[in-house]
Formats: sequence, structure tokens, C-alpha cells
Amino acid sequence: MKLDSAPVILTGVSASENQPELTASTESRLANAIFEPIQPVASADSQKKQGSPLIVFTTTFITIFLAEIGDKTQLSTLLMSAESHSPWVVFLGSAAALITTSLLGVLLGSWISKQFSPKALDKSAGVMLLFVSAMLFWDVLQG
Amino acid sequence: MDWHLLGLSFVTVFISELGDKSQLAAIALSGRGQSVRAVFFGSAAALLLASFLGALAGGAVAEVLPTRLLKAIAAVGFAVLAVRLLFFNNEESLDSEQTP
Repeated sequence: MKLDSAPVILTGVSASENQPELTASTESRLANAIFEPIQPVASADSQKKQGSPLIVFTTTFITIFLAEIGDKTQLSTLLMSAESHSPWVVFLGSAAALITTSLLGVLLGSWISKQFSPKALDKSAGVMLLFVSAMLFWDVLQG
Repeated sequence: MDWHLLGLSFVTVFISELGDKSQLAAIALSGRGQSVRAVFFGSAAALLLASFLGALAGGAVAEVLPTRLLKAIAAVGFAVLAVRLLFFNNEESLDSEQTP
């Protein structure tokens, strides 16, 4: 009786272990199957508008990353001062702060975009980006 | 978890980044109303990676990377985006005025 019951339990365990793997793999296959046809449609659609989300993401990421990577002296000093304790806590705190500031910036930007005409928005966004560029050049010149 | 240190670093970074270059850039880039989510994820990912590299390398970031050159490249990139918006965008802004 004991010998018989043991394999039943084992097979039961192995079956339940296999099932999540199977569903996970089918889900990923499904996701691939769903995403693949959508991508060409999205890129064809966005050629009419200026910049697909992917292009916007990439340009935003690259420019802000390059601007910030040289600008982290204050953060690194903060980290060095906390190095004796726990740098990960400092990283968590600053990560939460950075996500919050970029969320606030994007929310403010999208709110502004509903208030003014597209032409005025393009002009003011261009002037703001020129201002950011000038600030960066100033930083470079200052060393 | 050291909640005091967590709160301190949050407040310090939050105040120092509020109204800083990257937030102005996020406002300007999302101000066109299109793909706001892409701007948010792009800027958040860039900031997280930059601060993560800062956390890994500590004070050595400035020695390992040519940060002035990278900053100059970023400045040129923002200038190109600005010039494109200011001078080479007449047809597209007409387009977006016609659609609504």
C-alpha cells in the first residue's frame, strides 16, 4: 500500500510542476504571435506622424542618459558618504525620486500640450530644448 | 531597511532634480502630446541607469568615462531636437493642425 501510494504522489507533484512551465511557454509563444503582426502596422502608421514611440523612447533615453551620466557627481558623493552604511538604500531612494521627477515632468508636459496650439507648443518645446542644450554646453565649458 | 536614509536620499535627489535639465527635457519632449508614455519610460530608464552606474562606480564614473565629451554629445543632441522643432517642422505642425 505504501509503495503504491508513493509513485502516485510523485507523479502528481511532477505533473503540477510541469504545468506552469507549459502554460508559461505557450503564453510567450502567444505573446510573440500577437506582437509580431502588430509591429509592422504600428511603424507604418507612425511614419505619417512624427516619430514612432520607439524612436521617441530611444532619443529621450540617449540624450537624457548622456546628459545625466556626467552629472552624477552630487549623487556619487551622496553614495560615497553612505557607502559605509548601505548604498542600495540610497540607490532605492534616489531611484524613486528620479521616477517621480520624470513622471511629474511628463504629466506637466502633457497637461501643457492640451492648453496651447501645436505650433506654439513646437516653438516653446524647441526653445526649452535649446535652453537645456545651452545649460549642458555651459557645464562642459565650466569643466 | 534604513528608512531614515531612504527618505533622506529621496528628498535630496528629488529636490536637486526638480527643475533640472532632464526634467525640463522631459517636459519639452512630452509637450507635443504624442507618445507621452515613451518619453516617461525613456527618461526614467535613462535616469535609473545613470544613477545605477553612479552607485556601482561611486566616484569613479568621472575617471572611467569621458563625461565632458558625453555631455557635449548630449548638448548637440538636444540642439538638433530643438532646431528640428523650430525650423524643420512646418509641414508636420500643419498636419497636426488639420487632423483635429
